[in-house]
Amino acid sequence: MTTFLLRRLGASLLLLLLILSFLFFFLRLLPGDPTQVFEGRRLTAEQRRNLERLYGLDRPLPEQYLVWISSMARGNWGTSLSQQRPVSAAIRDVLPATVLLASAALGVELFAALLLGVLAARRRGSASDHAIRVVTLLLYSQPLFWLGLMAILLFSYVWPVLPASHMRSVDAEFMGPWDRSLDLLRHLVLPALVMGLGAMGSTIRFVRGGLIEVMGQDYIRTARAKGLSERRVVWVHGMRNALVPVIQVVAAALPLLLSGSLIVEVVFSWPGLGRLAYQAILTRDYPLILGTTALSAAVVILGNFLADVLQALVNPRVRDA
Amino acid sequence: MAGLSWGENLGKLVAFRSRSSTVLVIPLVLAGVLLATGCRHEEGTAGSTPGTAAASTSGPRRGGTVVTGWTAELGGVNKLIMPAAQVNSEVLYRMFLHLLEEQPDYQEHPPTFKPLLAKSYELSPDHKVITFHLRDDVVWSDGVPVTADDVRWTWQAEVNPDVAWEGTDSKRWITDVEVVDPHTVRFHFDRAYAKQLLDANESPILPKHAWEKLPFSQWRQNADWFRQHLVVDGPFTIASWEPQQQIVLARNDRYFEKGLPYLDRVVMRQIPDQAAGFTQLLSGDLDFINQIAPSDAPRAKASPRLELLSYWANLYVAIAWNNDHPLFKDPEVRRALTLAIDRQTIVDTLLGDLGRVADSPVLTTVWAHDDSIHPWPYDPAEARRILAAKGWQDTNGDGILDKGGKPFAFELISNAGNQLRADATVMIQDQLKKVGIRATPRLVEFNTLVDQTTEGSFDGAIMGYTPDTSLDLTGNYHSQAIGRDGSNVMRYRNPEVDRLIVEAAAQPDLLGMKSYLAQIQQIMHREQPVTFLWESKRLTAINKRVKNAKPTPNYALFNLKEWWIEPARP
Repeated sequence: MTTFLLRRLGASLLLLLLILSFLFFFLRLLPGDPTQVFEGRRLTAEQRRNLERLYGLDRPLPEQYLVWISSMARGNWGTSLSQQRPVSAAIRDVLPATVLLASAALGVELFAALLLGVLAARRRGSASDHAIRVVTLLLYSQPLFWLGLMAILLFSYVWPVLPASHMRSVDAEFMGPWDRSLDLLRHLVLPALVMGLGAMGSTIRFVRGGLIEVMGQDYIRTARAKGLSERRVVWVHGMRNALVPVIQVVAAALPLLLSGSLIVEVVFSWPGLGRLAYQAILTRDYPLILGTTALSAAVVILGNFLADVLQALVNPRVRDA
Repeated sequence: MAGLSWGENLGKLVAFRSRSSTVLVIPLVLAGVLLATGCRHEEGTAGSTPGTAAASTSGPRRGGTVVTGWTAELGGVNKLIMPAAQVNSEVLYRMFLHLLEEQPDYQEHPPTFKPLLAKSYELSPDHKVITFHLRDDVVWSDGVPVTADDVRWTWQAEVNPDVAWEGTDSKRWITDVEVVDPHTVRFHFDRAYAKQLLDANESPILPKHAWEKLPFSQWRQNADWFRQHLVVDGPFTIASWEPQQQIVLARNDRYFEKGLPYLDRVVMRQIPDQAAGFTQLLSGDLDFINQIAPSDAPRAKASPRLELLSYWANLYVAIAWNNDHPLFKDPEVRRALTLAIDRQTIVDTLLGDLGRVADSPVLTTVWAHDDSIHPWPYDPAEARRILAAKGWQDTNGDGILDKGGKPFAFELISNAGNQLRADATVMIQDQLKKVGIRATPRLVEFNTLVDQTTEGSFDGAIMGYTPDTSLDLTGNYHSQAIGRDGSNVMRYRNPEVDRLIVEAAAQPDLLGMKSYLAQIQQIMHREQPVTFLWESKRLTAINKRVKNAKPTPNYALFNLKEWWIEPARP
């Protein structure tokens, strides 16, 4: 098991290195450069050379690469060219908002997927099964930005009950702690729902499929024969096995929440990592683009690694192979 | 409420055999609470700050909060290490004082200056020294007086290569800033020229005592440090800062003009785009945004809540012809192109009252505009005649002119995301087709447009030009500004224009530039290095409860310290 883990970990780190290296060189192919700042005034050649010197952009590309990758390894993410401060500080500012949104969305996704998945499985072929299939397919096939805009239209304008954007109200700083939390929660509802419900489609299918398969097994018949209540049979005996593939899917899909958050954050003016990355790309802020991408790449790889580990834990054939 | 019935149905659906019905209760209660607070919340308005007294006086009143919306975010508090984005100057000029305040009164004469940090100034007889006499009652927000040392140190920072300030070029001819006494400072120039005073006054004075602790070499990595060591001498300071959300400006109680600013706080809220901002303006969530789309003007006018403001922007839009391109080398051909484009119809269709045909690199609203110039008319027959004289005939009958077997066809690029310009390219395509010219519009990303025009790998490009009050045309039309070093993307080369630009800049004051600028405008009118398309008005809208807001073409928040709000009706 340890060898397996080490091997997977090694492969993951190598993959991360490859992604970052590819990205480093690929970025330089984009038109525009950071010294030709968006919306800014035109610089003279001398000023541009000076800036390139300050930011080390005048060095040969391979040298820049080595400097960057070695300082990355030492935990120094470099200086943001558009914000003139450490990349790590820029990310630290916005990470809590993204984590909050992503975990709320994950909560929504799991909660809805479990409820609806079980319902669909228990009533296979019924009207509610079909209704759930149609609705989830509809939600799943809509682009997130569209879902977001529709949610805003519906719940902020037609029926104005929830704020359309931002994380806090203008006057949040004058609120008491209770009102403040409530204010935050109100702002969280729409983006978290959009992200969670948009992502739940495949999870529901997995819950439903898994449960249907499990419920046909002999041990379920045994459990029923023992006289256990149906609720206990489904939620304890059935779900315990049906959830294994679901957990793997969710672990592997975790990073999707991060990438989904880019779109949702832009639509809802949520101050997160996604918008930071978006701004970084517009201003050709290489270190910041690399920093935000490195973080998402690390999460993707970590998610896959966790999925592998979980699978190995559950299924001995995988780790022995 | 519909929301609850939705919850109840869901509850029925899943409560059939699961213990999780208790789990369901939590989100339902939560939803109820959220919806209830939502209803309550709507009663508040944007500026309802707790604790502001509602006195019923006419005339300026102290107190209250104005909420403004911005699509870009403030980049930091140290102007010298940030890109020259609009929002940066808007905010920082309310926090840090200039020596003098340039007035937006450049319509009939060069802009005048109002005393600010400096109560007066004088030029030496040879015009190579400007002496500023500073006020002695201005202090930084920590109580330390603002002195000539700050002025000298600010200049040292501005020209330091490690600070790498974008605007450092404006200080190019300043050889020294000499501290005569704590309240007298002398700017020494190595020559006398027209925009000396503008250059000396460019960028505000920074707090030496607070910021000199960080060596210049570390400035560009430590934007946060300046925020943590913020002291200001302007009317406002920063009260809170939530990245990507909002920045709250609050009154600087030590500001030297007694009684100002009137407002307690100004919230600068991030908006995703103009359209979203306008919606929030209509609903009263915002009091002000610095620009609204012309298509929103009727709704702004119809709203009882809003006042529509408009002014001529510092902007003209033109087609930059690549003068190195064989098609556009000849000034006569460029003039034919201008004659073949019906600019009046384009303006009438796309801008209406909010635009007019442009005819010069000096804006019509500016004192130095040569009023004897009139835009070339729409005259396709004359255009065809000129082109025929230059050998352009439709020999193969395909409707497109050709010469030596090559058709008169080119690509017209414009930046994606600007609908107005995109619409214009299509109209231009249509109009040029009528004289036998094939223009193919193409929208490109902004950075790509900048790259292609800088390198000269384009045919024609629709560009916006934002001339400043120094009226220095070097950057756009002098031949030395071709390539990476400037913005002469047309690659326009005219030795006479080069000479006139240099001589105009060398005049002892701005007024002296007028005759030179007139000659330049005449030449450009004949040679059409660009086809001037339009000048346009900028629209803003503001909540009527906000009084005395006077946005200028350069700064929406120009007189922010004098804004005040009407007491809320009981």
